[in-house]
Amino acid sequence: MTRRIVITGIGVVTPIGTGRETFWTNLLDGRCGIGPVQSFDTSGYNVHCGSEVRNFKVEDYLLNLDAAHLGRASQFAIAAARLALADAGVEIGSLDRKRAGVSMGTTSGEPREVERFDDAYVSKSLDKVGPEFLAMYPCHVIAAHVASELNFSGVNSMIPTACAAGNYAIAHALEVLRAERADLMLAGGSDAFSRITFTGFARLGAVAPEICQPFDRLRKGMIPGEGAGILVLEPLERARRRGARIYAEVAGYGLSCDAHHMTAAHPAGDGAARAMQQALADSGTNAEEVSYISAHGTGTPTNDRLETIAVKRLFKDTAYRIPISSVKSMLGHTMGAASAIEAAVCALAVFNNQVPPTINLNVPDPECDLDYVPNSAREVRVNVAMNNAYAFGGNNASVILRKWELLN
Amino acid sequence: MRNRVVITGVGVLSSLGDSSAALHAALCEGRSGIKPVQLFNTTGLGCPLGGEIADFDATKYLGQRNLRPLDRTSRLVASAAQLALKESNWSEEMRQDEEVGLVLGTMFCSVHTISEFDRRALEAGPTYASPMDFSNTVINAAAGQTAIVHNLRGLNTTISTGVTSGLAAISYAVDLIRSGRSRALLAGGADEMCFESFYGFDRAGLSCRSDRGSGDFPIPFDARRNGSALGEGAALLMLEDSDLARERGARVLGEIRGHGSSYDCSRGRSDQESVDAIASAVLHALYDGFALPHEIDCLSASANGSEAGDRNEAAGVFAGLNGQTGKLPVTAIKSMLGETLGASGPLQVIDLLETMRDGVLPGIRRLEKLDDGCPLATARSQSQELDVIDGLVNSIGLDGHCCSVIVSRGDF
Repeated sequence: MTRRIVITGIGVVTPIGTGRETFWTNLLDGRCGIGPVQSFDTSGYNVHCGSEVRNFKVEDYLLNLDAAHLGRASQFAIAAARLALADAGVEIGSLDRKRAGVSMGTTSGEPREVERFDDAYVSKSLDKVGPEFLAMYPCHVIAAHVASELNFSGVNSMIPTACAAGNYAIAHALEVLRAERADLMLAGGSDAFSRITFTGFARLGAVAPEICQPFDRLRKGMIPGEGAGILVLEPLERARRRGARIYAEVAGYGLSCDAHHMTAAHPAGDGAARAMQQALADSGTNAEEVSYISAHGTGTPTNDRLETIAVKRLFKDTAYRIPISSVKSMLGHTMGAASAIEAAVCALAVFNNQVPPTINLNVPDPECDLDYVPNSAREVRVNVAMNNAYAFGGNNASVILRKWELLN
Repeated sequence: MRNRVVITGVGVLSSLGDSSAALHAALCEGRSGIKPVQLFNTTGLGCPLGGEIADFDATKYLGQRNLRPLDRTSRLVASAAQLALKESNWSEEMRQDEEVGLVLGTMFCSVHTISEFDRRALEAGPTYASPMDFSNTVINAAAGQTAIVHNLRGLNTTISTGVTSGLAAISYAVDLIRSGRSRALLAGGADEMCFESFYGFDRAGLSCRSDRGSGDFPIPFDARRNGSALGEGAALLMLEDSDLARERGARVLGEIRGHGSSYDCSRGRSDQESVDAIASAVLHALYDGFALPHEIDCLSASANGSEAGDRNEAAGVFAGLNGQTGKLPVTAIKSMLGETLGASGPLQVIDLLETMRDGVLPGIRRLEKLDDGCPLATARSQSQELDVIDGLVNSIGLDGHCCSVIVSRGDF
């Protein structure tokens, strides 16, 4: 019998709000976090909008580490971790610290540290770069900083599988808990708004000029973003013993690789369908039982079309009956944090029986003909939610959350 | 009942050769791959030495194909994968029927590609940055590119936990095969030698200096040690379910018996916490592998010449093995390969398999005077004959990550 693992805490730092309650309210209201980029000067680019976290004060969350030694992604992650633990009602002092671990995903790690290195390099002042480069740049520092701040000395993993990283990190935490290597895991993803990422997507012609409109026929691309999402995962029996609020069970996952192209998805949705299929099998779920899908839904013409093909390939006619939404229409693409934040969305959908909308969806696309919950949130019973994420490198990751009471 | 995880092939690219036999022969002879760096200019940096793979040419392993989209790290990984798939006889045809996945440990993937992409945009303007290079700026680029080259359609995970990345990747793969989720996974690690990481290590004061009469070389556990030298490499193991290996008649080189990890929240700032975390990883590995301290026949240490790191590792292993280290044979191959980061743990595993095969454990190059009170009393510079059935492999990171793996001998 596989150990059952549940979500008991949610912490998010996003362009539409920090903390579970603000985030969920704004998400259901269809608020948008996209605006002109403030992190750096975009005058050399032909696109200028991003989805950034504003008015973020890491000092509100730090008890042990020094903010000056933390990159922005680490800061987001620490905030999300503290928020998640508080949401779960976990007293850190009550934990066996050797059995408490961290599993994080990211796309770029701490890109601003390498950008600082590059600025110094091109201005021939590299001597300004000192030991802080190695101390703050490598991506593992995100998980390391979270653990150091919280004094968690159990499993500590960093999984940089680009835009599917959050799901990969949650899947890993699930394995760690199933194998009884920890009693509690913080699992999620974090990414900071990055010049490198913005430049790259702009050069691919993938960035939309103003808004993100997934599945709309006139969609023009994705909007780069930033943020963090962290979930508290623990075994069901532990959660029940301590009387915790349980949002959902992490019932299973599927991971696959297209092995086709670095940046383009497989034209028939092969890898995506295999990941979904594997997630259903791992969780013992029939396709007909899926009541909500959180789409990767970046808003690029290709992603949304191929994702639709993959969902239809797996779900056949049932696909038309499943509400699917892309919160990237509101949050932009928060990179390695995206699927972690979207897992939080799925958990809240299962818990509240509400699903968020895909905003800016006005003109139907004949190639995207499923139910994308256009523009208004919906009340619907959500027994099983599927969280899909796709990434550079041909990575596909699907995670299944369900009402934990269903199996009791 | 969990599945057993066996090793049916390895792929190695190192400064001391591109096969496990060549690597092992060099290590046992005490040859060093650490030389003046050729790949970039080291003027102005404290240490000019590194463990480079000289004249690396990916076409030797991958044939004449379009390698232009692959940067150095990706080429190293794709080449190592080719070698591991070949040695384990996982043909292209078999990979169509059975999803083989890849779990790659890397600290930086290619910080060089990332930095070059950004600098080009800074110097020439963002519209001159290369879209092809952008696809390689993700930290999972090497894993993704390798999957494309070899049609690896199973899960494709990149683990980045610094020096422990490679052993962490092996541990991750082991759990997935044990639980039955995967049947065959390539797992290991890689990091390339590049200016950006070299600069970072140098500025962090981690490189060895020639100011204490030790020469510019890393000498693990020696009282004169004063730092490490950066190296590079790629090392992958073909891991599979022992039943599958038996069914297909594969040769079993060894078995991953157990693994454990732990995190030092002080990130090396407190010696005691560091020692506790190292001991804890060793203990978890023993527990996970149903092994007792006296069963461990030798240690392949993470030690790379770092003053505090080596001392704490020795003390941590002493504590983790319940004090049974007085006669424990030890090797520290970073004395000859340098600190190869993500590749280091898998390189240690691969060399340990060779020791199990031919009964020779490499020495620790240039070791003359052990630290006073070092509990690894038998550490020596010369290689020695040794019958090894179970060996302990350690990786210890710069930011508190600790990982230990117990490797068992296969059938020879």
